[in-house]
Amino acid sequence: MTYGEELIRHIWPLALFLVMVGGLIVLMLTLPALLGGKRVSRAVNEPYECGIVPVGSTHFRMPIPFYLFAIFFVIFDLEVVFLFAWAVAVKETGWLGFTEALIFILILFAALIYLWRLGALDWRTSRQKLDLRNLDAR
Amino acid sequence: MDSQYIDHAMVLAGILFCLGLVGVMVRRNLLFMMISIEVMLNAAGLAFIAAGSAWGQPEGQIMFLAVITLGAAEVAVGLGLTLLLFRHHNSVNVDQLNQLRG
Amino acid sequence: MNWLALTSLMPLLLVASISVILLLLLAFIRDHKLTCWITCLGLAMAAFWAFADMGDAPQQVTPLLIMDDFSRLLGGTVLLVSLACGWMSYTYLETADEIREEYYILLSLAALGACVLVASNHFASMFIGLELMSVSLFAMVGYMAHSKQQANMTLEAGVKYMVLSGVSSSFLLFGVALIYAYAGNLNIDLLVAAEGPRLQSGYLVIGSALLLVGVAFKMSWIPFHMWTPDVYQGAPAPVTGFLAGAVKVAVFAFAMRWLMMAQGGYLDLLLLGLTVMAVLSMVVGNLLALRQNNLKRLLGYSSIAHMGYIIVTLAASATLGAAALSTALEAAAIYLITYASMTMLAFAVISQLAAQDRRFESGTLAHYQGLLYQQPLLAGALMLAMLALAGMPLTAGFIGKYYLVLVAVDSQLWLLLSLLVLGSSLGLYYYLRVILVLCKTPVGDSRLTLGASEKLLLTLLVAVTLWLGLYPTPAIQWVQLAIQ
Repeated sequence: MTYGEELIRHIWPLALFLVMVGGLIVLMLTLPALLGGKRVSRAVNEPYECGIVPVGSTHFRMPIPFYLFAIFFVIFDLEVVFLFAWAVAVKETGWLGFTEALIFILILFAALIYLWRLGALDWRTSRQKLDLRNLDAR
Repeated sequence: MDSQYIDHAMVLAGILFCLGLVGVMVRRNLLFMMISIEVMLNAAGLAFIAAGSAWGQPEGQIMFLAVITLGAAEVAVGLGLTLLLFRHHNSVNVDQLNQLRG
Repeated sequence: MNWLALTSLMPLLLVASISVILLLLLAFIRDHKLTCWITCLGLAMAAFWAFADMGDAPQQVTPLLIMDDFSRLLGGTVLLVSLACGWMSYTYLETADEIREEYYILLSLAALGACVLVASNHFASMFIGLELMSVSLFAMVGYMAHSKQQANMTLEAGVKYMVLSGVSSSFLLFGVALIYAYAGNLNIDLLVAAEGPRLQSGYLVIGSALLLVGVAFKMSWIPFHMWTPDVYQGAPAPVTGFLAGAVKVAVFAFAMRWLMMAQGGYLDLLLLGLTVMAVLSMVVGNLLALRQNNLKRLLGYSSIAHMGYIIVTLAASATLGAAALSTALEAAAIYLITYASMTMLAFAVISQLAAQDRRFESGTLAHYQGLLYQQPLLAGALMLAMLALAGMPLTAGFIGKYYLVLVAVDSQLWLLLSLLVLGSSLGLYYYLRVILVLCKTPVGDSRLTLGASEKLLLTLLVAVTLWLGLYPTPAIQWVQLAIQ
């Protein structure tokens, strides 16, 4: 088999997939236009219409804890990847590997303790925290 | 994987890398610049995986893990800086960072 | 891994444990002085251990790290620089309107990264060390982000450093990936010994070039220096000291391992690139330094020029091969050590001044006018640092430059040699300008106070800078021991 033939053999499923995707999109766009009923009103033409007129602007500031949680998730989630890599070779690495993984987890645990004590995992808004402190003081 | 395919993978990785580089240089929005850096890093990761698979070794994949970990760490710190930038200037456009010059 | 390997790795383990201990400590107690003490003691112990181990047999700890005398010498240097940085940070942070303690976690992590980088003989550990150092430095450069006075500058510096460091890491990684595709091995020592070129050697050439670009970003070799002056000026003074001292030493130590110890026949192209960067850095760095009016910015351009000078050693080992290797290594190590001592001296003075008044680091040179009469010790130390950076005899700078000239003559690099001399004479002008400003009559009569610990730090740094200049024999013997 020549290089070109082999290339074609490798590529044709991908090409078929692309054609199918394109076909599906065309189908999805034309069928409703042919079959669906049409009703014109202001609310229907809104983006994300479902008959309800959206309220307010989407440009508002998210509270910082959302961002913090996302970052913590990404970081701790990625550390798990290394544990998977260890788990694959757990027999071969033996007790030495176990100790190393243990140290790794303990360091992560230290970081978690730090975050917890810092209040980074506290989901309350600063207003709620203030109320809580006033409550304690009383 | 045959050696002819590693060339293809490397070309793809090279194209991705250049796209990321152009993105960093052209974009003025810090968020998009960080996304472009991420693209560059992942291009390098792709090159590692292709090379590792060409040699039949796990090293390429391990390096990829290291690369995405770096990417996450960089994004964590970078987003923190972006957030502070937004607080100070009310936008994330890097053209506002023009105090240091001489 | 045996016991011997573990003990030889002790400096790294010590530094790593500082960061974890601090993390746990800060969760419960917040005390700036205690945090600083733990960091400095830990770094001092690690540095002592590294130096005390010198002369022992090299230990390969896992395929990733090698603890030979070279790593111990330069690793110890990096640790001492970090120690000085932590020490000078205390007063600086004490006067800052910003959370103080976390800085030391970042500092110990950055020091750990630098040590890993020095000790790595595998591209994976090189990458991990470099990134550990860089990512900690993003946060350190942008550390003063909540301070009213400094927020704008430190944020700008932090963002610039982050973006350019990210780009340079990508270059470096892509280069390593291509080298790996060629060699099938990530071990730096085995790079040359890789079995015949199964894949085109184009991968090796492009990969090495990209890796060199990545290194050049970190070493701020022109034309990859864009971030340097801005980051030097905007970052807090102690962090700038770390950037100028520890980072440069660590990255160049890696460059030495990669380009000198593991030589190959593929160096011709790299040699060309190195020479171009050396010429540009020496000439443009010195010329741009002439018109700087901020001391930290001036030191930024000066460090560009100094890093240009040191390329001479890489070029020498590439032209002459194994014959010049030991001389080149020796010269590079001595130059790095002397450069680290005088740079840390300069930044220690700036930190202490900036601790009293932030305008000393952010404002123009005019703030330094007449400092000699107001604070003779600080001004004297700064003068010494400037003289040393200019390469005056009897200071550390002279010994470093003398070695570079020796190497350049040995390997007949006449172009680089003449530019080295030209650059040094240009440098004389702007270093002497700083000294002149210090000696002018003062404008105000602001009194500056200096605590005992700051005095001790300055005295130590002055002593090291003078000792390396006046009686360098023991240091040179030590370096020679480490190179063999």
